[in-house]
Amino acid sequence: MLNVIDYIPGTTVLHRLNPVTKVALAASIIAATFLADSYAALIALLALTLVLGIYAGSGSRLLSLLKVLVPVAALMLALQAIFVRRGTPVLFFATDEGLISGSKACLRLLGVALPLVLMLTVTKLTDLANACVEHLHIPYKYAFTFTTALRFVPVFTQEMNAIMEAQTARGVEFDTKNPFKKLTLMLPVCVPLLVTSVGKTDATALAAEERGFYLRTRESSYKRYPFAARDAVVAVCCVALIAFGLVL
Amino acid sequence: MSNIIELNDVSFSYAPGAPRALSHVTLDIPTGSFTGIIGPSGAGKSTLANVLCGAIPHHFTGELFGATYVDGQDTCEITLTDIARIIGHVNQDIDAQMVASVVEDELLFGLENFGVPHQHIEKFITAALDAVGIADLRDREIATLSGGQKQKVAIAAILALAPRVLVMDEPTAALDPVSSRMVFEVLRDLNRDEGITVVVIEQKVALLSEFCDRIVVMDGGRTVLSGTPHEVFGHAEELREIGVDSPRTARISNSLAAAGLCPAEPPALSVDEAAGLVEGILREQGTRIAGSVRTAEAPAPAAPTTPAPRPHAAGAEPVLTFRGVSFAYPGGGASVNNLELTVYPGELVGVIGQNGAGKTTATKLVNGLLKPASGTVTVAGLDTRTAPVSRIARHVATLFQNPDRQLCKNTVLDEVAFGLELAGIDRAEARRRAERVIERFGLPAEESPFSLSRGQRQMVALASVVVVEPDIVVLDEPTSGLDYRECMTVMETVREMAEHGCAVIMVCHDMEVVSDFAERLAVMADGCILGAGATRDIFADAALMERARVAPPQVTALAERLTREASPAFAHASEVADVVRTVKELVNRA
Repeated sequence: MLNVIDYIPGTTVLHRLNPVTKVALAASIIAATFLADSYAALIALLALTLVLGIYAGSGSRLLSLLKVLVPVAALMLALQAIFVRRGTPVLFFATDEGLISGSKACLRLLGVALPLVLMLTVTKLTDLANACVEHLHIPYKYAFTFTTALRFVPVFTQEMNAIMEAQTARGVEFDTKNPFKKLTLMLPVCVPLLVTSVGKTDATALAAEERGFYLRTRESSYKRYPFAARDAVVAVCCVALIAFGLVL
Repeated sequence: MSNIIELNDVSFSYAPGAPRALSHVTLDIPTGSFTGIIGPSGAGKSTLANVLCGAIPHHFTGELFGATYVDGQDTCEITLTDIARIIGHVNQDIDAQMVASVVEDELLFGLENFGVPHQHIEKFITAALDAVGIADLRDREIATLSGGQKQKVAIAAILALAPRVLVMDEPTAALDPVSSRMVFEVLRDLNRDEGITVVVIEQKVALLSEFCDRIVVMDGGRTVLSGTPHEVFGHAEELREIGVDSPRTARISNSLAAAGLCPAEPPALSVDEAAGLVEGILREQGTRIAGSVRTAEAPAPAAPTTPAPRPHAAGAEPVLTFRGVSFAYPGGGASVNNLELTVYPGELVGVIGQNGAGKTTATKLVNGLLKPASGTVTVAGLDTRTAPVSRIARHVATLFQNPDRQLCKNTVLDEVAFGLELAGIDRAEARRRAERVIERFGLPAEESPFSLSRGQRQMVALASVVVVEPDIVVLDEPTSGLDYRECMTVMETVREMAEHGCAVIMVCHDMEVVSDFAERLAVMADGCILGAGATRDIFADAALMERARVAPPQVTALAERLTREASPAFAHASEVADVVRTVKELVNRA
């Protein structure tokens, strides 16, 4: 089953960067998005993310994520338009200031979500954890927790789908058109999901401990993640991006 | 031979005052042995595995008495990590066992942690992958592997650490017969070539009797029998009382021994042994064998005793029809092609084939969870493409492999009544009918379903299927994870439903169960139905079985062999009783 954050194999520069550099790049795009205040800059940053995504071969993944995010962004725009009462009215109840701050908030939402997903699609979770432990000196316990949580997302989605299928086959109307009814039907289903997930996490903990989890140190990783010239180039770009965000 | 693990009067309960999961177990695991552990559910098998690998006392808390020695050291005095250097443990839930998302990283994890020098790591990885025969999977994402492949990855990840003992908890529970065999072959090679001691908990008696050199039978937290497979399966009566199956060939030799035709010990544990035994009896009695019997005086082939098509099935309207049904998952996966199938009320139809052959996809097309891409599925007069699933659910009830996905209520009574309430029956009536069924099944009505054992949870799920009195029951691996007695209870209930006119469609890997209960079979491979027909005809069709990569049940294999080598009278024998009766007839004639 495909998941938005699953790794997409590839050999592009983006794939070959040090995982820490990739995190830095994503973080700088996000920082620049927060700092920038003009439409041009926000749209340029969003375009940069999309171009990088297409280059790395995860363009279709980003577009499918956009499809989910755009309605959320639209809802945000509508709320902003209703609640921001300053400025001059332009259309019905909406004011110009409301529309401007709303649309910028929408662009920022997209600009924050996409770089993170892009970074995850070009990095193996194990590499990310190992590199962060090696260079950022994050304790392995936290890195392991983080990667395991991400790895469990598709496992639990699958479990949830299987539970919903089983309940549908019993006659629970999950195929209803009414989203509120569907939500109330889904609540009791969370019980079996919770029961299985607690069991699974406990089993994983045991399996990890039986393979020497507590012996692991910063030097344990077989693979090393040295910085290369391309990482330095990207680091300079990161600084430039943040400066770009500050200025515009 | 010294013992790598010794249990000395070990008792354990998961909470103070709780019933003992293990009680006074004294057990030695000799170095280099291949030990199988079998017993009904709740016998304490998994608890024993947890004691053997040190998870008790280090991971699970509770009250522990007695002492466990691993390589001479008390497990209470060394850490779990130190125990793990000697004992590799593979958990029952294979998805939870994995710590990485790529096969190579999964193997690296343990090696890195235990501080294996980096220049040796490559060597260990290659050796472990080669030992289980999955060198080609090295760069694959674990999520894209099949159940059998995942099981091998789990074994390889443990193997890379060069353990001296391998403890496996039900490694083949979710696998088809061919993959199960492959896993056992891997274990046997490791045991023989690398000298690794293997301890495996398993329900499949035919595999245990073939591969293990020692079998331990557990019941109620105690070890009740132990010895070589021949010694253990010689106690057929005791095993039946405990609720443990015996290989079908052992049942044949035990029946023949009871009739005074052969000595009681040792029982025949394989088709080879049983064929040799029967041929010996016939030869001794002077019956003509081996080709010379093809004369008119040979007795007529044994009358089949497999369930014959039920009389009320003929002439009735079909309750389920597949007409040219195709379906493919958008993301890839087990698709099906041009399925044709008609099922009448009261029929019990088995669907067999390898993992990934499209069996589960076919069952989802029956209960409407999937809609055919082309062709039509008609269920009790409803076209599944237009009828909503909740409507189809009033006619079709499904029993899933994992009961936990089906259960969602706080008490057994609510759970069983839930299906009726969904079908629009008023609450009081629903509860009354539910109470009747719960009483018949002997379940605790006020308990929470989640506090029950695995077997009992399956019975609750079955009760909620029975109570809605459906036209069709779909069973997806109804017996996996159940012990022999629970399996028989489930299947007898299903047979009773069929006798009351309910059509049953059963996907099942256990060929013995299929041959005992299904009257008609559909054989699937690569999304197509390769053949369909009466159970004994299908099992006797060696070419078809070969193409679907399905191993026929032991009795069919034995009958086929005896027909060829001893007497045509064995043709069509498909049950233990058929073979025994034919032998008696031949002996009486002589």
